[in-house]
Amino acid sequence: MRPVTAQISLADPGAASSSAAPPKPLALRAVGLGRRFGDRWAVRHIDLDVQRGEVLGLLGPNGAGKTTTVRMLTALIEPSEGTAAVDGLDVVAQADEVRARVGILTETPGLYDKLSATANLDFFGRLHGLSADVRSARIERYLRLFGLWDRRDDVAGTFSKGMKQKLAIARALLHDPSVVFLDEPTAALDPEAAFVVREAIEELRRAGRTIVLATHNLDEADRLCDRIAFVRGGLLRVDSPAALRGGMGSRRLVVRLAGAGLVSDAVRDAIAVAAGVSLADITASDGALQIPARDPESVAPAVVRAIVGAGGDIVEVHVERTSLEQVYFEVMGVRPGAGGEAA
Amino acid sequence: MRRSILWTLLRREWMEMIRNRLLVSTILVPPLILTVAPILLAAAVGERALPAELASQVLAQRPEWAGFTAGELAGAFAVQQFLVFFLLMPAYIPLSIATFSIIGEKQARSLEPVLAAPIRTVELLAGKAIAALVPGVLAGLVTYVIFVLLASVVYGPNLFGVVTDPSWLAGVFLLGPAVGLLSVVAGVIVSARVNDPRVAQQIGGVIIVPVIGIVLVQATGAVLVGALGYLVLATLILLVALVGLRIGVRLFDREAILTRWR
Repeated sequence: MRPVTAQISLADPGAASSSAAPPKPLALRAVGLGRRFGDRWAVRHIDLDVQRGEVLGLLGPNGAGKTTTVRMLTALIEPSEGTAAVDGLDVVAQADEVRARVGILTETPGLYDKLSATANLDFFGRLHGLSADVRSARIERYLRLFGLWDRRDDVAGTFSKGMKQKLAIARALLHDPSVVFLDEPTAALDPEAAFVVREAIEELRRAGRTIVLATHNLDEADRLCDRIAFVRGGLLRVDSPAALRGGMGSRRLVVRLAGAGLVSDAVRDAIAVAAGVSLADITASDGALQIPARDPESVAPAVVRAIVGAGGDIVEVHVERTSLEQVYFEVMGVRPGAGGEAA
Repeated sequence: MRRSILWTLLRREWMEMIRNRLLVSTILVPPLILTVAPILLAAAVGERALPAELASQVLAQRPEWAGFTAGELAGAFAVQQFLVFFLLMPAYIPLSIATFSIIGEKQARSLEPVLAAPIRTVELLAGKAIAALVPGVLAGLVTYVIFVLLASVVYGPNLFGVVTDPSWLAGVFLLGPAVGLLSVVAGVIVSARVNDPRVAQQIGGVIIVPVIGIVLVQATGAVLVGALGYLVLATLILLVALVGLRIGVRLFDREAILTRWR
């Protein structure tokens, strides 16, 4: 598998510059968006603003309504309630115009297996009304970008899953869309293919593309998204990964001492005083002391001085960040291992 | 309906079609057989005569054959049966193409990216329908033209006159395309509900039953459908196809494809 060529610019000479001065215009807005299938609401009460150049993650379990939300925002299906607009164009009243401005990577690549990579892209370029020159130039650009240029004449059916996914992303970008929707881009890919696809998305992010990334991969959302929207039948919470971590869970200072497990009372007392916590708050796990703190970075020097002063030998000190996984479980109301939702 | 979009869809459909060996053989082999079979049959009949009762039945249906020799009458009756086979091509070829195309896209999940493009579902349906209809109807017409050219060399003037009389022309040029359209409609409707092209073809193949019926009725010699009969049949089938097309358009709705096609 060829690595993504990061040096190739995604900026289209003919496209509008994405480096406009702040405040950035809205690329996407949804107000009270919801969709019902029969008597069942797949998703509702979706309120979202996505700025141009922003990467928004839609995070939620299977069946949370991510794909339905993406389909409404791309004018593929009509909402049952609420409104949404892409570049100010209504997804219902101006559906054709919206579809011309969005690019979508669907859950499955959905390529024509009997056609070559070039023919697959050329077909979609024609559907989007691109001229022959533009089609040709962009096909070459994206096939080179995703390391598929040498396989351009091979039929898509002979490609690996990762290559198919990259070709499908190229297809989503071909018409230079205002917003790119990526629905589970690394689902069912092996780690190497998933890495390559994530690198490709990272490159799009660096190029200033507006991206909506629907995923249930927490690490992927954490690494790629400016903001994360937790979805489960509705919008539960939306914020930046840092703000989500900051506002949820607990942060801790973790100190590993020499002679694990044999921490003197003097050292414990010194830590409690320095960190401003009670002795009961200090717990030990895997030979390390865990000290809860609102701002672990600021208490760390005092704790280190106190331990050394009390005769303790420090092996390691680090601040334990709240993981996005912890945030996810808290927002979703799920107890990991409990096999379902928390009370 | 935008012609550029339609042409793009047709181009893609046909590019995929010619890469599907099974489909290509389904389209090409029967016309080859149908071109040669009536010629060989006429030769096989030779100067043999029809039984007297059957001969009188045939002449009652086709008084214009009264001047034929006994051998020519037997040949004309045998060759007449083949007109129906020229109708089978526009019946089964569009059905095969439509089911392969639509169910193939369902299985590959390739319709969603297409529907995400600025394309109208009626354009998509028209693209699929025309892509399926044209090869079937063309196969019927081209096979007939080749058959007539061969017949002009091999058959005598009376037998040649049989295969170019108004009933044949109405059958091939009117009823054939009408049957083709019905076949496409059947392919679209069945493919929306079934996930295996072979099953879809078997279900859709029901439309061939009336065509087989014509063969059986004509084989008795009691009824030989004439030009007017084929015209009436073509009109009836066209009406049924148009009703079916309305159902097909509803099944080909963007939301139905995305949310109900599994």
